[in-house]
Amino acid sequence: MKPDLKQWAVPGQWLAPGALLAAAMCAVVFLWSTPFLWMLIASFRPDPGGGLGMASLFPDFVPTLQSYRYAIEDGYWPLWFLNSTILVIGTLVVQLVTISLAGYAFARINFPGKEAIFYIFLLQLMLAPPVLIVPNLTTLVHLGLYDSLIGVMAPYWGSAFGTFLMRQTFRTIPKDFEEAAIIDGASWWQVLRYVLIPLSLPGLTAFSIVSVVYHWNEFLWPLMVINDPDKMVLTVGLVSFAQGAEGASDWGLIAAGTLFIMAPLFIAFTAFQRQFVNSFMSSGVK
Amino acid sequence: MFIRSAVGALCAGLIASSAVAAERIEFMFPAPVQGKLSREMQKLVKEFNSSQDGVEVVGVFTGSYDDTKVKSQAAAEAGKPPAVVLMSANFATELAMNDLIVPIKELAGDTDLDGLMQEFWPAVRPNAYFNGDVYSIPFQNSTPILYYNKEHFAEAGITKAPETWAEWVDAAKKLTKPEGERWGIMMPSNYDYNGWLVQALTMANGGQFYNTVYPGEIFYDHASTQGALKFWRDFAHQHKAMPTGVTNSKQVSTSFFSGKASMIVLSTGALTFVRENAKFDYDVAFMPRNIRNSVPIGGASLVSFKGTTDAQKKGAWEFISWLTSAEKIGHWSRFTGYFAPRQTAYDLPEMKKFTAEHPDALRAVEQLAYAGPWIATYNTVAVRKAVEDEMQALLSDPELTFREAAARAQKNADAVLAPYAEQTALTLK
Amino acid sequence: MNKPTRETPRSFRSARPYLLLLPAFLCLAAFTYWPMLQVLLASLSDKKRVGDSGTFVGAENYFRIFQDAHFLGALANNALYAAGTVIPSVLFGFLFALALRETTNLSSILRSVLFFPTLVPLVGAAAVFIFVFMPDIGLLDYYLAKLGVSATNWLGNPDLALVSLMALTTWKNAGYYMLFFLAGLQGVPQDAEEAAKIEGANWLQRLYFVIIPMLGPTFAFVMVIALISAVSQIDHVIVMTDGGPNNSTSLLLYYIYQQAHEFYDLGKATAATVVTLIALLTLSFLSMRTVERKVHYET
Repeated sequence: MKPDLKQWAVPGQWLAPGALLAAAMCAVVFLWSTPFLWMLIASFRPDPGGGLGMASLFPDFVPTLQSYRYAIEDGYWPLWFLNSTILVIGTLVVQLVTISLAGYAFARINFPGKEAIFYIFLLQLMLAPPVLIVPNLTTLVHLGLYDSLIGVMAPYWGSAFGTFLMRQTFRTIPKDFEEAAIIDGASWWQVLRYVLIPLSLPGLTAFSIVSVVYHWNEFLWPLMVINDPDKMVLTVGLVSFAQGAEGASDWGLIAAGTLFIMAPLFIAFTAFQRQFVNSFMSSGVK
Repeated sequence: MFIRSAVGALCAGLIASSAVAAERIEFMFPAPVQGKLSREMQKLVKEFNSSQDGVEVVGVFTGSYDDTKVKSQAAAEAGKPPAVVLMSANFATELAMNDLIVPIKELAGDTDLDGLMQEFWPAVRPNAYFNGDVYSIPFQNSTPILYYNKEHFAEAGITKAPETWAEWVDAAKKLTKPEGERWGIMMPSNYDYNGWLVQALTMANGGQFYNTVYPGEIFYDHASTQGALKFWRDFAHQHKAMPTGVTNSKQVSTSFFSGKASMIVLSTGALTFVRENAKFDYDVAFMPRNIRNSVPIGGASLVSFKGTTDAQKKGAWEFISWLTSAEKIGHWSRFTGYFAPRQTAYDLPEMKKFTAEHPDALRAVEQLAYAGPWIATYNTVAVRKAVEDEMQALLSDPELTFREAAARAQKNADAVLAPYAEQTALTLK
Repeated sequence: MNKPTRETPRSFRSARPYLLLLPAFLCLAAFTYWPMLQVLLASLSDKKRVGDSGTFVGAENYFRIFQDAHFLGALANNALYAAGTVIPSVLFGFLFALALRETTNLSSILRSVLFFPTLVPLVGAAAVFIFVFMPDIGLLDYYLAKLGVSATNWLGNPDLALVSLMALTTWKNAGYYMLFFLAGLQGVPQDAEEAAKIEGANWLQRLYFVIIPMLGPTFAFVMVIALISAVSQIDHVIVMTDGGPNNSTSLLLYYIYQQAHEFYDLGKATAATVVTLIALLTLSFLSMRTVERKVHYET
């Protein structure tokens, strides 16, 4: 791989500031990544409970796969991954539909009570605080969704944040496009589907990232809703490694388990990063 | 592998829903030490399920002890009470007071529960009872115990483990190396562990800590607790043999393994973990005494939430009886390091063989002769936190006196207990 | 798809916006408004738990929390925590985006690495950071010792514990926010920058007069998500400190969690929720108004 240093250089100036910036960023990124490097080293340590040189980033031991062996034996990783993926995608897909429809209504249609309804929507901004746990669980039980992945997703299907974001995105699109389409005989639905949505991809992408990151990371709510071990999600599974009530902590196992969660994402993100970031960046989040 | 698990999960779901005969009950349990315990617990559940046809237990992993309490309570309030929960042993009292769990006699029918409890160690019995009824069956129990590095002891010329507080301070000072190179003693002071150890020191100082008969009284601003607060804080500020500030239990175990701490206090529940990770010669000893040898018990018991059907109750009892049988409870004890609360487990040949091989496991059991119940009052966590806040402040702030701290802990705890006291002891008509 | 009729009946047309809002509204009604109503009612009663039949006590719970040192402490901690996580993580995110603006092989890798902390679930990151912050033996102290800094009890010192949590949050979120700034920077027209350059503006002036004003909406957007995360995420508090030492890391949501689930005081928990929600809504509102204004200015 060729180091593309000159791209950092501002055209018309000499190369050094660009190289300097590249070096500085490499240093910062190295610092940022030290917890991961440590996890990688610690996961191969033969003394996972602790040792004097435990924190060293330079391996000074004969590596062992023991922590990985335990992590594989103790966890149902593929199942947990599958459940988390279903959860994240199932939440997002419905959200994209509801926020696009609602965002369109708020951005493009005038109707009585619009302002008031918009503010009522925004009430939801603070997501599922702990006191809502019991009332929401009760609702799930009545709907027959307790102990199901759908039950974990349902409270998030209407998103105030997403609605707001889509309303903003639609409003930045000039009305001329739609008017042209309407003159050609397109219905509101066709306008939304073939004109507005394609022009709103950056907004939808931004929302998708926020949603996926949030639900991928969530712990307390899935813990409350899910009982069946076959529906357990990654975060809850990870906790079975990460927490020790009696004061014992197997750092090697924690590191190996966390890396297990990271690995597929690491590979996927590195492989598709350029396309992903580029498409997201193509016209900017406004 | 991915697909196989998915298909497996799907099939498991289908089979479970098509098998109508078995009564399905949920069993929620926390993972007390690490992932492998959670897997072992699921194995036990499977073994039970295949041993009979009447009941199908679903093992639900529920995170930490606190998460377990939150989840099971929330499920019960939402109308899905779990039939069996492995709950921190001292929560049974307040769960019973809040009418969330049922007395075990509702599950057990004609079983002589008082007779059954006689098979358990006397120390674990009080936390199982409330208002004269058994509300929980002990499953895994522990006490605080002193772990020490024998190599450091030899190096410092100490020949035996400290037995009194004076010897303890003396040893801690001798073992400490300056500039934080090595600490003589470390004890976890994060919430939960903190209150447990303040109680242990108070009991060793001759105190009661709380009223074991009436759940509306706590004795923080009394000599025995004051002395305990002072004793702990002095390790850090006066003897400089312990780091200042709050130390969590993970720091304590990791420091011990890396030779940064010569003596530590941890639960006997960590015994197996210490045995597997200490790369040096270590041993365990009783908690040192000032007035008397005495420690509180810890660990977890099985409870059943209110609102399950009669069939579920019957199934729950079948599972609880199976899981707390001398054989299974002994197996779990050997696997985890907790002591088996059922005395009869120690009469089985496997257990005799095990304790002969691991005399440290026996030390934990011997200490039981001096053990008492764990703090269980009205609103236990809030009452316990009142003294924990002050202990944490004492460890962080060298200017704060133990008298001020004890007085404030008492005031805050009394405020928590006041509504209960008003309704009970102070209702005079 | 059917050929659309341009003349949709009037009655349907006037109902259309409400029908469009219906799916989102149903979810919000079931899982936000209904429980919020229950929370509001509970905050005005003396219920101890959800199942209780409480009596109406007016604003008493609100008086109680504002007299509760632990609630006021959590409020102050959360304000500090919000400032100490939103500002540095947004600033780092912005600076990273500026530095890695051009897409090259190297910058792609660096962006990936900076984004990874976002993908580690907070519960896992918190477990790992217990080790990072461990006095003497942990990652931070091990290397600080090589620089001559003596052991520090990061999580156990009441003056440092909250700062340590802020550091974890900043580490975890900066790369996440960088992504939004990268997108925003792409929207800054090249010619505006070129024009400024021709007029002799140095990079700092270009940054201040051209780039930052153009990124106004991005800043507001990122600030809102950062603010919401500062109030709504407490997994790390539960795993790392439980609000300690001596309540120095107790955040609002942790206070609420504790009152509701450990202390059996639903009145305090719900009153605190209402107060938190009002504070959060006000702040989000102000940020969103900024977005609105900026967007109107542009179109």
